[in-house]
Amino acid sequence: MSVFSFYIFDRHTECIYSKRFAASNNAPPPRGAAGGGIQNGDVPASLRKASKDLDETKLIFGTIFSLRRMARQLGGADDQFLSYRTGEYKLHYFETPTQLKLVMLTSPNVGNMRTVLHQIWATLFVEYVVKSPLAPAEHTGGKGVANELFEGGLERFMEAVFRPQQ
Amino acid sequence: MSVTTQHTTPTELMVYRVVFALLIINKAGGLIYTRTFAPGLQKLDSNDYLILAGTFHGIHAISRSINPAPPVPPAPGNRRPPTTGIESMESSHFRLTCFQSPTGVKFLLFTSPEQPNTDVIVRRCYEVYGDFVMKNPFYSLEMPVRVEKFDRALGAYLARP
Repeated sequence: MSVFSFYIFDRHTECIYSKRFAASNNAPPPRGAAGGGIQNGDVPASLRKASKDLDETKLIFGTIFSLRRMARQLGGADDQFLSYRTGEYKLHYFETPTQLKLVMLTSPNVGNMRTVLHQIWATLFVEYVVKSPLAPAEHTGGKGVANELFEGGLERFMEAVFRPQQ
Repeated sequence: MSVTTQHTTPTELMVYRVVFALLIINKAGGLIYTRTFAPGLQKLDSNDYLILAGTFHGIHAISRSINPAPPVPPAPGNRRPPTTGIESMESSHFRLTCFQSPTGVKFLLFTSPEQPNTDVIVRRCYEVYGDFVMKNPFYSLEMPVRVEKFDRALGAYLARP
């Protein structure tokens, strides 16, 4: 039961937030990248890594867009794509009425994460990002999303959901 | 106890668990067999099914490359097992189970979300395919499936009388 990554896409099909979580038994610390932008432009290794991250967010968005369209085509206009599972991971999808898309990739044995995604949106995103007086209305390039309160709240929330044994 | 879904008239008695349709996609992503067994999905014409099959074939490949899990070390002396693509997809009205044979043929099974044992059902469809299509000496590989015995065997297994 572990979470691998978490993404938020806005209604302009842009990735405004992405976060990778470390595997529980590995050394590398979790990295958070706001909007998938390049952080150190001069070092080739991190440039490559950043563009790889960018490609991955684009692939993920393309996948969820096509699957959502397929669900609408087959199930009717009110059908909602919820999740899909492969042998190695499970992707959970939640869309808000404002066409904000929350995507979470976890291990395959996880159950329904729809309520978790709804809570992340309602109690973390709306509270710390939407209601922040400094955040812009449109988060182009991820501006205004990765503030400290949201990041900290998200970390604590994920810890509480995925590592409840204490 | 009478149970109704949104896609049937309220006076009809319908059980929750039902298989809606089966699609078979060949190695190249082309649709070679499509059949609906029970109402419940939107009516699509044959063109739409072709486009759907091609789209799913592409998505299946992409889902393998966005795998975020750390690679698992293989058993000593063995090759690392290949990453799998989409095996099942949930939506509010249906569940899609995808089984990919070792030769690259994909079996897409559309069922209601409450249907249990979809992997057993799709494997049985694969067995029926192997028995009636593959062993048919007149069937050309990767071509649309037009084998009457296959239709009959599949109907006997999946269609509700």
